[in-house]
Amino acid sequence: MDSTQIAEMIIAEIRETVPELAGETMTAADSMAELGVDSIERSEIILATMEKLNLKIPMVQLHGPKNIGELADLLLSKSAG
Amino acid sequence: MRGSVGIEAMNVFGGMAYLDVRELCDHRGLDMPRFENLLMQEKTVALPYEDPVTFAVNAAKPVVDALSAEERARIEMVITCTESGIDFGKSLSTFLHRYLELPSNCRLFEIKQACYSGTAGLQMAVNFVLSQTSPGAKALVVTTDISRFALADAAAVQEWAYSEPSSGAGAAAMLISDTPHVLALDAGAYGNHAFEVMDTCRPGPDTEAGDADLSLMAYLDCCAGAYEDYARRVEGADFRETFSWLCFHTPFGGMVKGAHRHLMRKLYKAKPAEIAEDFETRLGPSLAYGKRVGNTAGGSVFVALAGTIDTVELSEPRRIGLFSYGSGCCSEFYSGVISPDGKAKLQAMGISKALDERYRLSIAEYEKLLTGEAVVRFGTKNAELDRQIIPGAWPSEGKGDRLVLDSVVDYHRNYSWI
Repeated sequence: MDSTQIAEMIIAEIRETVPELAGETMTAADSMAELGVDSIERSEIILATMEKLNLKIPMVQLHGPKNIGELADLLLSKSAG
Repeated sequence: MRGSVGIEAMNVFGGMAYLDVRELCDHRGLDMPRFENLLMQEKTVALPYEDPVTFAVNAAKPVVDALSAEERARIEMVITCTESGIDFGKSLSTFLHRYLELPSNCRLFEIKQACYSGTAGLQMAVNFVLSQTSPGAKALVVTTDISRFALADAAAVQEWAYSEPSSGAGAAAMLISDTPHVLALDAGAYGNHAFEVMDTCRPGPDTEAGDADLSLMAYLDCCAGAYEDYARRVEGADFRETFSWLCFHTPFGGMVKGAHRHLMRKLYKAKPAEIAEDFETRLGPSLAYGKRVGNTAGGSVFVALAGTIDTVELSEPRRIGLFSYGSGCCSEFYSGVISPDGKAKLQAMGISKALDERYRLSIAEYEKLLTGEAVVRFGTKNAELDRQIIPGAWPSEGKGDRLVLDSVVDYHRNYSWI
């Protein structure tokens, strides 16, 4: 598992959670907030990705990333740690 | 066997005026394509002659008035729970004591822990009753919070933007005793989850700062953590089966929905359809009043409780689970039993009717209030309140049972009944 694959997982979760964005092209450089994903949806997407990665850590440890790529990097480092 | 303890009587006061939240969002140009998901409708806006004291007293007065002289004489403690204090030293409880004409042999103090304050106050009162140091004594616990966060300048409105639609005002008054008609607490059945985090704070008297994502994350962590601690203490507890209804701290309904979904997935790997149905059944009633007053901070979990009791069909005692969260942060999951007798007692307070009677502010009137020119700021030495600031909002004929702020003289706030 690398950061690119995790970013793809996040993007798949975005499509799942926000039907309006299902057909949208998204990359690691996009920020969820700027895509129009609201705060509740963002938390759902992060939780669903954590579940897929079988990552059990407090959510507050995932605060801070500015875009999907940074979130993927952080998730990767937490998974490895 | 522990003695019974809990809420003997309660009331919620949602102020004198409100704003339509949809109208506010449109006015602010907030792009909220999924506005409905937020589950917000109206929010109470405190008028200049309303402050944390008037909210608290107006919530508590019907509760105290319903008591006999002997019962009133047994109120031996008044705890005000707030993050909207008006003085660093003097507690709001002293004003409640005066305007509710309570006995002089009384402990008066105020406590703070953001939106967790109400539960902190409730548990302190509950433990006072359980301790039996003064058998038969009652404690009055009153949460009171208002939000006036855009007073500083134009930048303050910007900073406040993310929570402006949900920030409300309101007070919940609860009489805690060994005759808990409204909510018989399951003494000893609770769970806490706390850690230091800077998610939302009030760094100055009229400012709020925060990070919506971090606050939501801390809330979700706490919801799971506090329930886990509850389940550790309470043998056989099952989130899905034990509680007929649930009442969560409600910044806005959408957040509660997210937390419920999180727990249902974490504990049961439940599917979306089951989660949605369970939310509607067990948490839908809790939003009845919250979606009309907005986030009432320390009182929000009790606003949820009152909404649940007032709106559900109740033919026999049923168990309720409560979750309280306060930024910073501390949280608690606990439970208690409600009954038809308590429902009748609560309905006599007429909470819904009082909300209906609030004045609906126009956006122009709301904006006028936001400039804060007519508002008594923290630390004001002298002031006279303008009753005609919003002409339509002042009741044309009062019954003398509602407290308003009149003036401030040498820092002392003077109130009158209208």
